[in-house]
Amino acid sequence: MEDHVPRACDYTLNLPSVSPNQPLSTETLASLRSLIINPSTPAPAVTSIFETLTRSLQLSRDPLVIHHTLKLLSDLASRHTHLSGLVFDSVCSNSLLSTESTRVAAESLDVLASIAESNRTLAPAIEEIDDRLFASLCFSPSAAIRPWLLRNAERFGVQPYLLSSLFLGFTKDPYPYVRKAALDGLFGLSKTGVIEDGDMIRGCYFRAVELLNDMEDCVRSSAIQAVFAWGLMLMACDLETKAYWSDEVFVKICSMARDMSMEVRIEAFHALGKIGMVSEDILLQTLSKKVLVATKEKKSLAQCSDEQLKLSGSIVAGAFMHGLEDEFHEVRKAACHSLGTLTILSSKFAGEALNLLMDVLNDDSMSVQLQAFETMHQMATFGHLKVQERHMHMFLGTLVDHNTLTRSAARKILKLAKLPDLKLFRSTIDALLDNLEMCPQDEADILNEVSPQMEPVSNVKLGFDNVRVAALLVLAISAPFSQEHGCSIPPSIFSYAVTYLGRISHALSDIMHQDGLLNYLSKCSKSSGPYDIEFDFAVRELSGFIAVPLPQKRDGTSDILSSTVKEPREVELSLVEYRLEVHDEVTKLMNVVLAKVKDIWPFVQSGFTNEVLRTLRSCREELATFTCGSIASASVFTFTLQYIKIMKLLAKAWVNFLPSRHFPSCRMGNLDFLLGKLDARLSELKTTFIRLSKEEELHILELILVTCVLKLSKVEICCHLSTLRKLSRTMARVESLLQDETVEPSRFTIEVRKLLSEIGASLNGSSCNLSLFRRELESFSLMQLVLCGRLRHIKADLDIPDNNYEHPLRFVAGLPVGIPCHITLHNVMVQSRLWLKMTANGIDDSQFVYLDLNLFGGCDDLRIVTFTAPFYKTPKAFSFTIRVCICMECLSEDEDVSSLKRCGPRHELTYLCRETEVFLSMLK
Amino acid sequence: MAIDSLVLGAGQEVGKSCVIVTINGKRIMFDCGMHMGHLDHRRYPDFSLIGPNFDQSLTCIVITHFHLDHIGALPYFTEVCGYSGPIYMTYPTKALAPLMLEDYRKVMVERRGEEEQFTSEHIVECMKKVIPVDLKQTVQVDKDLQIRAYYAGHVLGAAMIYAKVGDAAMVYTGDYNMTPDRHLGAAQIDRLNLDLVITESTYATTIRDSKYAREREFLRAVHTCVAGGGKVLIPSFALGRAQELCILLEDYWGRMNLKVPIYFSAGLTRQANMYYKMLISWTSQKVKETHSTHNAFDFKNVHKFDRSMIDAPGPCVLFATPGMISGGFSLEVFKHWAPSETNLVTMPGYCVAGTIGHKLMSGKPTKIDLDKDTRIDVRCQIHQLTFSPHTDAKGIMDLVKFLSPKHVILVHGEKPRMATLKGRIQSELGIPCYYPANNETVSIPSTHYATAVASDAFVRSCSNPNFKFSTSSWEDEHGSTSRNKNFIPRLQVTDDRVAQGILVMEKNKKAKVVHQDELPLMLGEEKHQVKFAYCCPAHIGNLQENQETESSGLSLSSTNDDLLQLLSAKLANEFSEGSLHDFGEHLQVESFHVSICLKENCPYRLRDVGVEEKSEAVFFCCSWEVEDEKLAWKIISMC
Repeated sequence: MEDHVPRACDYTLNLPSVSPNQPLSTETLASLRSLIINPSTPAPAVTSIFETLTRSLQLSRDPLVIHHTLKLLSDLASRHTHLSGLVFDSVCSNSLLSTESTRVAAESLDVLASIAESNRTLAPAIEEIDDRLFASLCFSPSAAIRPWLLRNAERFGVQPYLLSSLFLGFTKDPYPYVRKAALDGLFGLSKTGVIEDGDMIRGCYFRAVELLNDMEDCVRSSAIQAVFAWGLMLMACDLETKAYWSDEVFVKICSMARDMSMEVRIEAFHALGKIGMVSEDILLQTLSKKVLVATKEKKSLAQCSDEQLKLSGSIVAGAFMHGLEDEFHEVRKAACHSLGTLTILSSKFAGEALNLLMDVLNDDSMSVQLQAFETMHQMATFGHLKVQERHMHMFLGTLVDHNTLTRSAARKILKLAKLPDLKLFRSTIDALLDNLEMCPQDEADILNEVSPQMEPVSNVKLGFDNVRVAALLVLAISAPFSQEHGCSIPPSIFSYAVTYLGRISHALSDIMHQDGLLNYLSKCSKSSGPYDIEFDFAVRELSGFIAVPLPQKRDGTSDILSSTVKEPREVELSLVEYRLEVHDEVTKLMNVVLAKVKDIWPFVQSGFTNEVLRTLRSCREELATFTCGSIASASVFTFTLQYIKIMKLLAKAWVNFLPSRHFPSCRMGNLDFLLGKLDARLSELKTTFIRLSKEEELHILELILVTCVLKLSKVEICCHLSTLRKLSRTMARVESLLQDETVEPSRFTIEVRKLLSEIGASLNGSSCNLSLFRRELESFSLMQLVLCGRLRHIKADLDIPDNNYEHPLRFVAGLPVGIPCHITLHNVMVQSRLWLKMTANGIDDSQFVYLDLNLFGGCDDLRIVTFTAPFYKTPKAFSFTIRVCICMECLSEDEDVSSLKRCGPRHELTYLCRETEVFLSMLK
Repeated sequence: MAIDSLVLGAGQEVGKSCVIVTINGKRIMFDCGMHMGHLDHRRYPDFSLIGPNFDQSLTCIVITHFHLDHIGALPYFTEVCGYSGPIYMTYPTKALAPLMLEDYRKVMVERRGEEEQFTSEHIVECMKKVIPVDLKQTVQVDKDLQIRAYYAGHVLGAAMIYAKVGDAAMVYTGDYNMTPDRHLGAAQIDRLNLDLVITESTYATTIRDSKYAREREFLRAVHTCVAGGGKVLIPSFALGRAQELCILLEDYWGRMNLKVPIYFSAGLTRQANMYYKMLISWTSQKVKETHSTHNAFDFKNVHKFDRSMIDAPGPCVLFATPGMISGGFSLEVFKHWAPSETNLVTMPGYCVAGTIGHKLMSGKPTKIDLDKDTRIDVRCQIHQLTFSPHTDAKGIMDLVKFLSPKHVILVHGEKPRMATLKGRIQSELGIPCYYPANNETVSIPSTHYATAVASDAFVRSCSNPNFKFSTSSWEDEHGSTSRNKNFIPRLQVTDDRVAQGILVMEKNKKAKVVHQDELPLMLGEEKHQVKFAYCCPAHIGNLQENQETESSGLSLSSTNDDLLQLLSAKLANEFSEGSLHDFGEHLQVESFHVSICLKENCPYRLRDVGVEEKSEAVFFCCSWEVEDEKLAWKIISMC
């Protein structure tokens, strides 16, 4: 095929070459175009096409032919960049710019500018185009070209002052589109900030203000932008009058809020939100259709001359109110959004705005509702959200909305909201309960997010603290359900209450005993029947909670409560026990297993490795016998399994550091291997589980410390410094966890702390004595790890559908191939950085593709996406395989300097799934 | 030329809207309504004022919407009085108007046993004469008269009417709403060049609260009632309010997952729903946008109500006609439901005196005597709706401000309130405003454009931009402080391509616009320019005050050029470099021109200069053009 192309080209080019003095016909031009855009056209042909076109440009006087020729030249320049310089020169030299036809001149300018934009070396040349030429083109009678010229003025490097005069002048043009282009130009110019002349700024501003009353919608809409932009400049140029100007601009833009054109209104509301300074009176006036006294009396800086400012009250009146009840949801949304940024300015305004916003929650458009929530959230962030009782009906109504987004947005605000009194607080809790009852899937969110953070404003007056609120909430959850709704309550809610047991009993220690409470709750969580417990559930009457009548168990085995059951001290003690008490079956079982693991330590220390390994194996076998249903228990299960593996490695490694006479020492290489593996497993454990409790994390960190010390106390060590660094880094984390002194540091930790300070004192870490580290090891003893069941395992599932060695993906060597991946992520936080690692077999270099979590649907718990990953380096082979897996960057780890130069992860990686093999074969 | 507006109805009152506007010889009747409050001849507009022959004296009738006070007299006027000219109304109005008229006729004749004003056949015949129009469709009624309908909100199919004859143009708003509700949009009109706007002014002084607040109150009342197991009775008119409230409830029901049934009583309402479903393009953005997936008038939760269900247990919401509980089904239900305090009755915003609705609204009665045998115990809750399809005072002001017509006439309102609104329109917007009583005529001047031929030179100059920048100096503003300069644009731009034209009207020739340069040529005259000149004595001391030491005693010995330089230096302090030009022989600032006068007897020199001065003084000869007069005197005062 390709052989024919030059010939065809010659043939086509014959036409012009026969009659070189004739301009090209339209047909010829059309055939030339196909040659230009065909990538296979050989270079000489392209050159000759270029020459033909240039010649034609000189010969032709027909604007239509010139138009097509210019178009072709610009195509040519963009597709064959090596010729762009020549095209540029030829267009420049052909005196097209000074022809009578403005259209041709403008088109040539366009070609020149677009070439210069793609070819930076020509950029200075375009700058040289005379400002006078540009201005004269603008002044030509052809009104059709004028808007184009004004819109493109920025491309030609025209002097800002000339430009501003041109734009300003053309705002007087009788053609609306010229006026619009001029205003847009002024808007663009204001952003460059080169105009500093006060007269000019004022001139432009007032001209734009005049155009707010233009007959055309599009002009008015552009005028708003221009008024806003030049108004900002006016504000900036004189600080003394800034306040005056910001008010002035605000009022002017407000006057457009009642325009008949939707686009104009949207533009107006967008602009209103961006003005960073407005006086409170005016702001308040925007929320009331009636003219307020304050605005009437408002004195302006320029009161002596400015009559119209007296009217500003009626101009501004109710602007936002109108915006929020506009027919078009786009306008309502814009108004809502702007309201958010303006509420930052004044808390009084925010209070008034909230009255309106609460009603917007009843809007018929979802997006407006959500924007209203967003605005409230913003208000809450700035502490301007003052919820009042009259808001509650509307607001709490959203908690039982059938839309999940609405509910969660409402809860998000509740989290930040300050409730002024107990009554509101109670009604809020009631609404939350309704929410819970209606949509059990929300319970995690409700309990975890709302309850701990909800604090009535007048804490002191009500006399209860954060924890207490949580406790009451949980009680409130369990109690009223059991009585009022009979058996409708799912037991899981009680299990939730159990997770809060520690907090509850702590908070209510003066009136109840946690034994009883635990019994009560666990009983409730097991049975789904009507609760046979004589709670006098006046607990909702929170006002007198000291006198809350508390449950009394009928069977009498445990007195759940009495006003003063135990001494506070005792309570504290038992509290610790119960905090460690575990709340679901799986975690309980795991803890039993873990207790066994703890027992092996003396054996390890005395060198009975085989026994130890056997015990661990039996533990694993025990684990293998049960299956786990829920995600939570699966995570705990995986954790335990990995922990046991680590223990196995630790036991194997430890034996090498015992006095060697009893035991045949492993080879050093083997030990290196073991320690490396141990290290890797531990980091994996640390990074792939989230929501670790403090105790759990400390335990893992301690194991990491031990591994480091083991490495350091080895005779031959190759990575002394980095290990030392890791040791101190881990220790720093331990210190930070220990900071609040709720957990006692272990002996080993204290020793390491001491050691590190010693090393730090000595000049060089490497000079330390090995025996120092060895001594360290003696102080280590394995603690029992107690799981609290909250942890979650980060993992991913990767599936390449329809791919095996019989059904390979097809590829073309040298071209990228797309690999369709079905990815499921569990418990991945949105801030984590995930990569798809692809390694072709036999090639060392891996390729990384960043996985943007925003592409995934779902929440942190579960995200699913189908993603086609490009693999670039397809080799020249008939078939090959790629190993694909998903990794997560450990942001806490050091930056890997070696990877800085290439794109890809910068930190150590943790693998979230097994590598999957993808089969590819060349397309025949 | 003038526009005459004869107000036949709704002048300083609400009811029987009818305005006859004469523009450039065309007579248009806007609306042809009836007054519901009167039963005698005052019920209809006084058509006799139109003239003997309706067909000849009226060009057309335009009806804005289907409410009886806007259309009620139409069948009477066409069929009984015999008007047979064209009648224009929008499609929905044409569809719904017969329903309204027939319903009214039935009530009047069959229930109250009144003499029939028009028959069913009359209504049918009348409707045959109607030409339907679409929104923004320009209808050429005859050679000169154009009318165009714009969306008005208010009720389904309501329109504002733009009418134009020749150069005179006006808008008749009918009833309109500037804020959207759940099913209708806000009024929407273009910015037009108008001589006259005739607007309704039902709420001439009321400024209404946010519609959200009204909705919230309503929903809260209904929700609380049904949550407590009560029944809600919503007596409503068949068209409009029922649909709006129902959309509101439907939406709320959906979001709150409520399962309480909503019923529509049989009758007009269900039929009206069908019309609404068909006339989707006349509703609000939301309804239009979503109707392809879900027609907002397909009420999911709404069921048909059966008489047997009145006493069925359990909560429910019922829409029933008529709106004012003046009889019919809503009264029947009311009798059953009123005695229970868990129930709720919502009342429309306005009820005619004498109806039960009116009694309920004026104070909370405990007992209502229906007739001499029946007495109803009223223990239920009453909620008054404040929904209104009319715009409030702010809306009227906003519309008038947006349209900025040359004159405004207020109709369809109460006199004292109209007076207040008139005051506001005149003072705040500076537009003359009138509110004539019935049968009064208001005459206002109208625009008349003359056609003129443009000369080529003028056309050429028009197509070339020709803008100028002018800077005004602060001193022009009398009494302004230096601070004030920030608040007035000094730099102003003008583009006087058109202003440069000169209109030439010669006898027996068409008017012509020529370029100003052409004019001398046309008239065979030369161009003259008025210049001022003054030869003023130079006070050397004045000029030298700064350089005393150097040039003491220099007065005569110094050359004239030096003097000019001194002046130049002094002027340079005052003016920016750009404006001051020094040509050696003379100085120039704008058109002000000064040089040393060498003539003994300069014609511009004042003669009363003292003799002794004359011999030694040096004179500056100054000349300037009219526009720089202030500047000139300022400079002269410095000499």
